[in-house]
Amino acid sequence: MECEYCDMLSGKSKAQSLYEDDAVIVAVKDMAYTPGQITIFPRKHFTILEQVPDEIMARCLAVADKTSRAVFEVFQAEGTNILIQNGLGAGQKVPHFAIEVVPRREGDGLNLQWQPKEMSEDDLDITAHQLAEEIQKLGDFTAPKKKEEPKEKKEIKIEEKESSNYLVKSLRRIP
Amino acid sequence: MPEPTEEQRKRWEEKIKNMDPEELQELQRQQCIFCQIVTGKIPSKKAYEDSACLAILDINPAAKGHILLLPKEHYAIMPQVPEKVLGHLSTVAKNLSQVLLKVLRADGTTIFIANGAAAGQRAQHFMIHLIPRKTGDGVLPAEEGLVGTEMAAKVKAAIEQKLLALLGGKKPMQKDLAQKAESEQETKLPLKEAEIFITSAAAKRYHKEKCPFAQNIPAEKKIILSKEEAEKSARKPCTCVSGKRIPLVKPASSSKPKQSKGLPAKKTSGSKASAIPKTKRGGEASLDDIAHLFK
Repeated sequence: MECEYCDMLSGKSKAQSLYEDDAVIVAVKDMAYTPGQITIFPRKHFTILEQVPDEIMARCLAVADKTSRAVFEVFQAEGTNILIQNGLGAGQKVPHFAIEVVPRREGDGLNLQWQPKEMSEDDLDITAHQLAEEIQKLGDFTAPKKKEEPKEKKEIKIEEKESSNYLVKSLRRIP
Repeated sequence: MPEPTEEQRKRWEEKIKNMDPEELQELQRQQCIFCQIVTGKIPSKKAYEDSACLAILDINPAAKGHILLLPKEHYAIMPQVPEKVLGHLSTVAKNLSQVLLKVLRADGTTIFIANGAAAGQRAQHFMIHLIPRKTGDGVLPAEEGLVGTEMAAKVKAAIEQKLLALLGGKKPMQKDLAQKAESEQETKLPLKEAEIFITSAAAKRYHKEKCPFAQNIPAEKKIILSKEEAEKSARKPCTCVSGKRIPLVKPASSSKPKQSKGLPAKKTSGSKASAIPKTKRGGEASLDDIAHLFK
């Protein structure tokens, strides 16, 4: 699949990069909601948010925050929107996960506000319950993943110890 | 609630002025609906909760399953949120999005943050909206428009330096936490540099580092001033300091003796302003140009 952002990194696209590091690229595209809009995306190709590793996602959001601060100061924006369109159904145009930082002003004519829907108390309760249930199934996803690996290793070590103990025991039995 | 009288309002304003930041934050917290939701004073439809954040359903949702993810601590806007908390929120948001896709069979999710009333922020508590989307639901009707490569270049020229200052240079970053801490210190340094002004002993004006006039001052005559020093000294700000424009005229090499002769500062500023051609050089964008396009 063709990817505009990967093309940019290989120098094929017109978009301009503002900042690059190991994980994250900050760039200006020629398409935007308002002039001054800036795009942040991971260097590695991920199509949607669910594929982006936690560390890279956290870095992207941190960079988006700094970008938003710069936008406030430099463009004298009165507000900023941070927007992730995740998936075709959400209007994602480029098949590469990205965060948009959109500078806003009072009366800039951009409509990023949805029409609120009325929902019954029951409907809300049911949805909340469904979601909570599914989230619980994920377990503690906020725990750092690095910690899990040593645990496994420890378990293996314990097994080794036990087996060595067993051998020692059996050795003692021999005489 | 009755309208406060003029006198009451004045008294309140006075009170707020005299408050220290901690008291102010406490006041904001007391007034904040979402802080009361966090403490449980106001009931809510919780989808997820941990020690640092809470995810609830929006009671006026854009779509079924519209989640508000908020830090438990009170922050009004995103720039106030510490990086660590933001990182935690991003992980939770990612997993919530995944669950929305699965449970509600959504075609996608929109993750949305509004900073400031102009961006559509309604409550004074930072939050991340997660909206499950279906193709053609028209939840966010706005479409990106073509701003053109020229505009993109202008934006780049205007913001690049500030961004690099905030992010700590174009160096590739290591994932080590120790180095991250270092880079955070580094990000603060360039900010200070931005407030350094250059002048010489004989000059009547002070300049930003980038200003061509400053670059014309020979190194041995250069005097570096902080913002305060510059303002205290008898020198006047160059157009690069007072206006947002970097002087585009290449100063003649004779500009130095001119200044040492002691021409009245006001006169020079007037003549300089008129001498600046309105055409833009290269990618140098004026901020006003960009700001103007919002209207």
